[in-house]
Amino acid sequence: MIDHYDWAGGREAMMRFGPTTGPIVVAVLPLFEEANRTRTFISGVLRRLAERHIASALPDLPGQGESLVPTENAMLAGWRTALASASTAAAGERPVHILSCRGGALLDHDVKAVSRWQLAPAKGEALVRELLRTSAAAGERIEIDLGNYNDEGNAVTIAGNTLSRTLIRDLNAADCVRDGAVRVVRLETDPAVADRKVAGAPLWRQSEPGDDPALADLLADDIADWIARCAS
Amino acid sequence: MTTHHAPSTVGQTVRAVLKDVLALDADRVAAFDDDTALFGALPELDSMAVAGVLTEIEDRLHILIEDDEVDGEMLESFGALRRFAEAKVAARNAT
Repeated sequence: MIDHYDWAGGREAMMRFGPTTGPIVVAVLPLFEEANRTRTFISGVLRRLAERHIASALPDLPGQGESLVPTENAMLAGWRTALASASTAAAGERPVHILSCRGGALLDHDVKAVSRWQLAPAKGEALVRELLRTSAAAGERIEIDLGNYNDEGNAVTIAGNTLSRTLIRDLNAADCVRDGAVRVVRLETDPAVADRKVAGAPLWRQSEPGDDPALADLLADDIADWIARCAS
Repeated sequence: MTTHHAPSTVGQTVRAVLKDVLALDADRVAAFDDDTALFGALPELDSMAVAGVLTEIEDRLHILIEDDEVDGEMLESFGALRRFAEAKVAARNAT
């Protein structure tokens, strides 16, 4: 079902899955191009959670997806506020569990969540490095001093996204929530620390959007178990 | 935790990254040898994909590739990319 939510900056779309009672998973896609590459897969995980009688919501963030907000107006603080509003709109009094992937794990700081389940969470620094590298590989090297907040230069365009310099700097300094009930799942090819490693290819890096139904099944089971454990 | 990769392991990692990031057929990637041409020869490896391949190699091998090290030469062939990655891993293990 397509729903919506209101936040201080306007109204955005939100997909809803599953039952109208019980705990609700609020899903946060990766940022920029990676969101397009993983939308099918993450939506598949949410449909599988619905089959396991767990509700979920997948909000569009301002300046991302179908949002009417120009990408260059997107700010990290705005995304965090919008996600908190989406979570409240979706859940009401129901317990919220965050499901985030990659850079999505940088956005849930203002959400009152019982737990956080993160797939391959990425530090902002690594995402920014990859953005700048993408731009350099396309022959459009971007000059930006990531530590200088007084640099009020124009927005930059990277791989079709126009982004403000403030957003790039804020992202560069951003990290994931690590306090409270957090479960980190990574691909077995990723040497970083995780609670569980799973076999699979990094869909967020593939230029053609792909899917992995077997991995979606496995992760839906993992999330359902995790939510049950958090509730007990 | 410290991990040491033997040269052959680095080659396998580079091969796996090309397969995973470019969504190439496993048999096709298994047939790559040092002379297999990459950038300019593999249509899947466009400039957008180059960034993904390099970042994925960095993550999996725990190395850091500076942007000024990225040139046509290191991406010219599978052998060139493998040797570049091996040199990076060796430099990391030496520090």
